Amino acid sequence: MKRYAWFIPALVLVSAVLVYPALRTLALSFFHMSLGNGFRLEFGGLDNFVRLIGDSRFQASLVETGFFTIVSVTIEFILGLLLALAVNGFVRYQGVVRTTLLVPWTLPTAIIAVLWGWIFNDQYGVLNELLIRTGLLRSPIAWLAGPNTAMAAVIIADVWKTVPFVFIILLAGLQRIPQDLYEALEMDGAGAWAKFRYVTWPYLMPFVFVSLTFRVIQAFAIFDLVYVMTGGGPGGATETVSLYAYQTLMRYLDLGYGSTIVVATVLLLAAVALGLYALLIRRYERLFQ
Amino acid sequence: MEPDGSGAWRDVIKSFNDLHPETPVRMVEGPPATNTREDMYSTAFLSGAGGYDIVFCDVVWVPKFVAADWLMDLSDRLPAADRQDFLDEDLKAGSYQGRLYRVPAFTDAGVLYYRKDLVGDPPVTFDDLNKLAERFKDQNRLGFLWQGKQYEGLVTNFLEVLWGFGGDWIDAETREVFLDRPEALMALQFAKSTIGSISPPGVTTYTEEETRTLFQDGRAVFLRNWLYVWALAAREDAPIKGRVGLAPMVHAPGKTSAATLGGWGFAISRFTSNPEAAWKFVQFITRSDQLQNIHERLGRIPARKSLVPAEFQPILKAARARPAIPEYAQASDILQRWLSAAMSNRVSPEFALREAARETRLLLGP
Repeated sequence: MKRYAWFIPALVLVSAVLVYPALRTLALSFFHMSLGNGFRLEFGGLDNFVRLIGDSRFQASLVETGFFTIVSVTIEFILGLLLALAVNGFVRYQGVVRTTLLVPWTLPTAIIAVLWGWIFNDQYGVLNELLIRTGLLRSPIAWLAGPNTAMAAVIIADVWKTVPFVFIILLAGLQRIPQDLYEALEMDGAGAWAKFRYVTWPYLMPFVFVSLTFRVIQAFAIFDLVYVMTGGGPGGATETVSLYAYQTLMRYLDLGYGSTIVVATVLLLAAVALGLYALLIRRYERLFQ
Repeated sequence: MEPDGSGAWRDVIKSFNDLHPETPVRMVEGPPATNTREDMYSTAFLSGAGGYDIVFCDVVWVPKFVAADWLMDLSDRLPAADRQDFLDEDLKAGSYQGRLYRVPAFTDAGVLYYRKDLVGDPPVTFDDLNKLAERFKDQNRLGFLWQGKQYEGLVTNFLEVLWGFGGDWIDAETREVFLDRPEALMALQFAKSTIGSISPPGVTTYTEEETRTLFQDGRAVFLRNWLYVWALAAREDAPIKGRVGLAPMVHAPGKTSAATLGGWGFAISRFTSNPEAAWKFVQFITRSDQLQNIHERLGRIPARKSLVPAEFQPILKAARARPAIPEYAQASDILQRWLSAAMSNRVSPEFALREAARETRLLLGP
């Protein structure tokens, strides 16, 4: 009994700030409760979920969020891996390089969003200035004005901020690979590719899983960057699921339906995380059987 | 409250607290973005009692906050003399279904700024604006700046054009929607036609400050913005000092111009434990001398007829409030999204307005 008592403070804290709100959101998703009905709690069964399936704005935001997640996480992963491999080879100054590369990750996203907003500005923006000076562009582009360029702009800003996260996790993974494995392969006359293929990649797999899972969840829940840079525009072209959930909950004061959007998103993300687990970790386990 | 960088609000509140030491008022500064402050109040009121006693309230929040039953009815408290002196449209915008919930403090309206050293007399019609902007724009100077990002500002800009064509958006009383009328199409077509011709392509990404900065640097002939730009453009260090005029927004021949009404006032939470003290404070802070004091320090325009500077009077006469419906946030989002979609060529203007009208009718339903 005495040993378990130590868990009580943590249990109370987690229940209060995590379990209770999560359960309440789950419960609310089956109810109608909004400004429209005077915030009366009325049981609606699956009403909200039926509405969600037919909601074209939700579908559109799901597509935009999915596209954003796949493209930005892919780029972040490739760049992060290349950087980690490169920096892992540094013997001197590795600490300095590592710290410098981490700087974007430490800045608050809302501030980064304002910065990138100005970089992409068509009149004052640095990006247009650079492209015009180097002759790649004739006249300035209003990046955030077009649906595709706005999405590209948001992805670029996100990649800039989160490559360091992938990098640092993969670097940690690289540094715990036993060096004698490489030496053994060298004895067998293996080249660089074989070393990567048979030692680095399988040993890195748990770290790949962790970084990808974290990044997919964060990217899918992206809010601040989009909210500040584009507000979901133009014409809803960069509206993500969390932006829509926020609008519904906070601005439309539709607490029931807003909770449904959140619950549906969590379920989707859980499915994606399980998929990643099956794909990466299960295969990894097989490699060592 | 809004962020109080200059300390102007702190000083007013201090003078109230000196007079009423038994019920001191404490100011809570919020973030500068107004919709974030709206969320701040919503979150507090959703959890019921114990939040804020007094709300520094934007015009567009009133119907929603009242429908949610968060604000106290002030109709019977406001003295007749004040009712006379406050601007009529501001009082109306602070009311919902005939009852007053927000005492006006400062008013605001959309207005057309122009370079009087270049154009001489301001344009009157949409065609005038087009021609003058075309004539005076060049390599380093843009023609006409407005706010086209997908946000509330886009709606305020569009409404002025829509009203200038004689159209309307929503009738708050009958809940009728007019977005698929020909006037709305003309308005959207005009707004869209400026992009890439008299307005830069990036105009659909701008909010107030980007356009104000460009205009103030002397890089544009015309600017649609709020009244706050007037004081900033007249400052010693402004490159265009003394070369700026202001005029009501342009309109179609035979129609009249209209300005979207903005502005701020004070409301009292229904959850307050001390309504009498809260009312005393609201009366104190909306007094002529206090409003004049804030006007001198922050450039805000007092919502009292006796205090409005002469140059703003014709514009404020043409000011119109946005529809007073509790679903305002949704209606505005529908309009923003479809306008923005049409302006970024994702859909045609006809389709955008038809869909916006359909979705808005669905929202306001029978």
